[in-house]
Amino acid sequence: MAGADLGESSSKKKKGGGVKKPKRIGFKLDMTPLVDVAFLLLTFFMFATTMAQPQIMEMQVPPDITTPVEVAQSDLFTLYVSNKEHLFYNTGIDPTMRKIDIKDLKALAVQKNAERENDLITSLKVDPAASYATVVDILDELNLAEGELVDSYKEKNLKRERRFAITPITEEDKAELAKVDI
Amino acid sequence: MGAHKPKRIGFKLDMTPLVDVAFLLLTFFMFTAKFKSEAESEQKFQIKRPVASPDTAKLPERGVALVKIGIDEKGDTLTYYAVISEKDRKSIYTAQGVDPAEANNAQVTVRDTVTLANLVLQTRRTNPKIKFMIDADKRVRYGRIEQVMNTFRAQGATLFNFVTVNRSQQG
Repeated sequence: MAGADLGESSSKKKKGGGVKKPKRIGFKLDMTPLVDVAFLLLTFFMFATTMAQPQIMEMQVPPDITTPVEVAQSDLFTLYVSNKEHLFYNTGIDPTMRKIDIKDLKALAVQKNAERENDLITSLKVDPAASYATVVDILDELNLAEGELVDSYKEKNLKRERRFAITPITEEDKAELAKVDI
Repeated sequence: MGAHKPKRIGFKLDMTPLVDVAFLLLTFFMFTAKFKSEAESEQKFQIKRPVASPDTAKLPERGVALVKIGIDEKGDTLTYYAVISEKDRKSIYTAQGVDPAEANNAQVTVRDTVTLANLVLQTRRTNPKIKFMIDADKRVRYGRIEQVMNTFRAQGATLFNFVTVNRSQQG
């Protein structure tokens, strides 16, 4: 009885195929080629994926206004990039241009800002012949210095107001730069 | 130590868990893989982005207008304007100075600052929420960047971004 029942149900499933297939017990499939292909694709996608997602650096320029803004000479801290990619700086009080390495800029910017707190106006003047990479390096150093300043201000419960601008380089600046940049 | 190991004849390894993990990783990488965008395949150069310290701000995938400045194999500096926003692209590319043959492309060639100014203005009119990006090659002279920045400023786009690449991931 039981055996006949089983036989009928299995033939029903096969929709009356006619030929009765033997049950596959202990069936083993060789997975090696499958694994080969899977790993091949896996390595392909692993190498094709670019993990380096571009990031952005925010920049703000003052709106197009024709009336010049009066600022105190003593608040100025100007950075100059010469056509030879060298970095110089001077302040409103001490107009002598001094050469500085880009990697020392962070410490200098922190120090200058600490001296004058929120009053310091940092401006960057770049010679059009300098490369964009140098400019980004400088902006990056200034941003790092900014981060440090914000932290130190927080400890003192002060609000940091950044005063920074990229300003066009003048012919006088270029002439001054040419004197010191040898 | 001294025990003699029996030779393993007819050794069979159950590969099922291995296959499971392999396919899991495969599907993961397949879905995360990012391929060259339509715009990138149209341009004749590859931008070597300048490096910067790791930042949390990533380049958004939509709603941006990129000014791409790159250097091709011949050493010429080329400028492209790419709007990454499907719905706004068509109307922005109708700006004056744009080659009509390129109007249906993913990005258009910018030949002069007047064209760029028109494009920036048209972008701001079409969708004021679009963020402006300068995606320039690190070898480009600063003068080129300054021109673009001045154009942005003249068109009232005073807030924009420089596209950089993380220092640890530079390729």
